[in-house]
Amino acid sequence: MSPQFVLTKLFRAILTLFLAVTFVFVVLRMSGDPVAQMLPDDVPAAVITQYREMWGLDRPLPEQYLRYVSGILSGNLGFSFRDDRPALDVVLERVPLTLELGLTALLLTLALGLGAGTLAALKRGSGTDHVTMAFTILGHSMPNFFLGILLILLFAMTWRVLPSSGTGSVKHLIMPAVTLGTSYAATVARFTRSSLLEVLHQPFMRTARAKGVPFRRRLMSHALPNAGIPIVTVIGLRIGALIGGAVVVESVFAWPGVGQLLVNAVAFRDLAVVQTVVLLIAFTMVAVNFLVDILYGWLDPRIGSARREVSA
Amino acid sequence: MSVITCPVTVGTDMPARPRRRRLPLVIGLCVAWLVLVLLLALGADLIAPYGYAEQSLLQRLKPPALLGGDPAFLLGTDGLGRDVLSRLIYAVRASILIAFCGTLIGSVIGTLLGFLAAHFRGWVEEAIMLLVDFQASMPFLIIALAILAFFGNSFELFLVVVGFYGWEVYARLTRGLVLQANAQGYAFAIRTLGVHPVRIYIRHVLPNILSVLVVQVTLNFPEIILLETSLSFLGLGVQPPQTSLGLMLGEGRNYIATAWWMAIPAGIAIFLTTLSVSLLGDWLRDRLDPTLQTARD
Repeated sequence: MSPQFVLTKLFRAILTLFLAVTFVFVVLRMSGDPVAQMLPDDVPAAVITQYREMWGLDRPLPEQYLRYVSGILSGNLGFSFRDDRPALDVVLERVPLTLELGLTALLLTLALGLGAGTLAALKRGSGTDHVTMAFTILGHSMPNFFLGILLILLFAMTWRVLPSSGTGSVKHLIMPAVTLGTSYAATVARFTRSSLLEVLHQPFMRTARAKGVPFRRRLMSHALPNAGIPIVTVIGLRIGALIGGAVVVESVFAWPGVGQLLVNAVAFRDLAVVQTVVLLIAFTMVAVNFLVDILYGWLDPRIGSARREVSA
Repeated sequence: MSVITCPVTVGTDMPARPRRRRLPLVIGLCVAWLVLVLLLALGADLIAPYGYAEQSLLQRLKPPALLGGDPAFLLGTDGLGRDVLSRLIYAVRASILIAFCGTLIGSVIGTLLGFLAAHFRGWVEEAIMLLVDFQASMPFLIIALAILAFFGNSFELFLVVVGFYGWEVYARLTRGLVLQANAQGYAFAIRTLGVHPVRIYIRHVLPNILSVLVVQVTLNFPEIILLETSLSFLGLGVQPPQTSLGLMLGEGRNYIATAWWMAIPAGIAIFLTTLSVSLLGDWLRDRLDPTLQTARD
């Protein structure tokens, strides 16, 4: 992996982050005067002017933009008017719970998706294969909030074995993690199967078999690493869907993470919190994409120079 | 779901499923469901037994007719005594309408930008692809939530936001396909004849790449339904007293312990619709592009 490759990817990551900040700034300014929105209608004009000066809204736009960017760089993301605390603190204290849910769902996804996909590819055309493929199609079409409600209806209301909402124990984690991971696992299983199938028919696999390489070794050190690129791609691409899904799933199960906070903040138009969550997610996504890019270079040393693919 | 059994030839590249000329049963069922959904959406006013906001507080939370409820309310009533079946029919109409408009907006904008990128190359292409990369790197649900938070919720804005979902996929796809097409003999031949580029693109290139775009529509449509229903479920999309499938589920979840029939039919409708479009898309893709068969199957 050349340093140039890493630097190009790093530059793109920073550019994307910069775009995200600009996007939030533009939307924020386009959406109207924050002072007028925050204060009651009968406030005298002098107070409004004072607030505008205090927040620097009377300055020219480029200056406002620079102040906005430098504010973000110094960790100043505004005040949550619902909590009366810095928005960053409000958001950061929710992060551990979302990470707990997201990482559990991710682990579940990888175990289930990679396992089922590999099994289906090795036993192509068998009952296992059909069941896996049916699962991938059903899992992909199932809205996660509907799955969550069905699980609650069965496991919390009818059989009463799992709590329907809240947090605190492993039992609380099971239903949200399954709900969040299902459609993701379906996608991973599908890609694992198809890319593994492609690799299994390559001449080098036949050669390895002819040389007498044992099955397990053929699979682990020949087939899977070569099938890895599309799988890593889809895992990286779908991280965004996982984060989006977490917003919905946290609301279904009253899981007090960042997603639930975002939904509440949107409902109450607590804009400082909304922008903090958006920027935090943008940062996470950029970091994940950067790692996936670096992982490519490691999985396949041929990917050295950062050129854009012509085909989709 | 029916499982198609067939002899498997081991050790060759033969596809596991034989390619059939006839419409497979599953695909037939999908088409039938989608036709039903379309009819419900188009004829909601004629078909629905009651209005979607028609309340009758004396008839609150009645179970479905088959479970001992009132035969006048086939799927029961909700917490305000509104007929679930009628609301379901209007909800199908709202969700399908939004998904249609959304797909149309996204595909037209995306395809147009893809053409622009491929035609002008240079900085136009760079700028468009930068936006594509940015869009692809942000979860769309989050962007949608942010925009709805900043601008406040209105139906028109909601429609536009949902419409922007997936534009970047169309743009990337179109750009790649147009670049390929431009390098082919037929585009070059017409260009030498002095035909205007717009005419080349609309009359010659677009028909050649349309099949891929149609397949993308079938992938995009279920996702738009899921996006709309998710947002409405969270209470940030379609607003009461209007209804949508997601909103019905969202309202029904508070009654899930006592009146599950408020939520479950809407969930099943979403599930069957997205499933049908996905399966139809898969099948269509296999038919339109035989080269994809081995790669995917």
